[in-house]
Amino acid sequence: MPTYELALVFRQLPRTELISVIKRTAEAILDKGGIIRKLENLGTRALPHKLSEHGVVHRTGTHFTIAFDSAPTQISDLKEEFGRDIDIVRRYVFKVEEPLDHKCTLHEELLPPAYRKDVQELIDIAKRKQKPKYNYNSGLDYYPFQK
Amino acid sequence: MLKISKIITQNVTVANLTGKRHMLTSARLLANVESSSGNSNPDEPIDITNPFQKDPQQCILCKHNIHPHYKNVKLLSQFQSPYTGRIYGRHITGLCKQKQEDVEKAILRAQQFLLMPGYHKDLDFLQDPKLFDPEKPVRPHKY
Repeated sequence: MPTYELALVFRQLPRTELISVIKRTAEAILDKGGIIRKLENLGTRALPHKLSEHGVVHRTGTHFTIAFDSAPTQISDLKEEFGRDIDIVRRYVFKVEEPLDHKCTLHEELLPPAYRKDVQELIDIAKRKQKPKYNYNSGLDYYPFQK
Repeated sequence: MLKISKIITQNVTVANLTGKRHMLTSARLLANVESSSGNSNPDEPIDITNPFQKDPQQCILCKHNIHPHYKNVKLLSQFQSPYTGRIYGRHITGLCKQKQEDVEKAILRAQQFLLMPGYHKDLDFLQDPKLFDPEKPVRPHKY
């Protein structure tokens, strides 16, 4: 089962109700056969812009993330279920990816265009696409085709 | 051979004055000279790597080994225009291809998660130090 992260924005709620919403969402994941790895509260704050959801205008919200393992087939069901919840303003599920170990390629990208690998590939493609052309220096003293 | 040894001694004296970097190059020179000393003819050109080769340039995120994450809003907002909220391009930020992609992905994720505004920069981060100059949208180059 792949690990997913569920990013939720709850509407402004008193503490007791907030707890019940979190319990509700967590139980929904568990009911679908998921495993919860981490719960993280990012706090209540003003949203970057006002937005209307479920017919109400929201200006503040509580950010909360849940990391969980679940079957990929259950994700759409979970999204649909959270979409129906009035207390959830935004829900967003994505796969958790370990940061790739990569080497900086800046020094290659700063080379003059003719030395860059991607540009060289483009030139190769252009060469391959060119039509065969009659060579006027072929040793014949006449043009062998109809003009 | 004499000349080379002279150069090395000069290099060493310079190294004492200026520090590690020169020490390294002179050490590289020494090692190469030793390896090529098996040649019978001392007048033959010696085979060495360029001792003046500079270290490959790195972008600012690779240099400090930072992986952009969508919860790190303070970092991400530095790559956003304060006037329009647009993400600056690679020619302005001076990042390598992969890191620019990561930054853009993280910013979009943060905006979707309502952590970051999309049409302006967060007012809390307006006074942050600038990583680059958007007025000069040219990557550093040597030609």
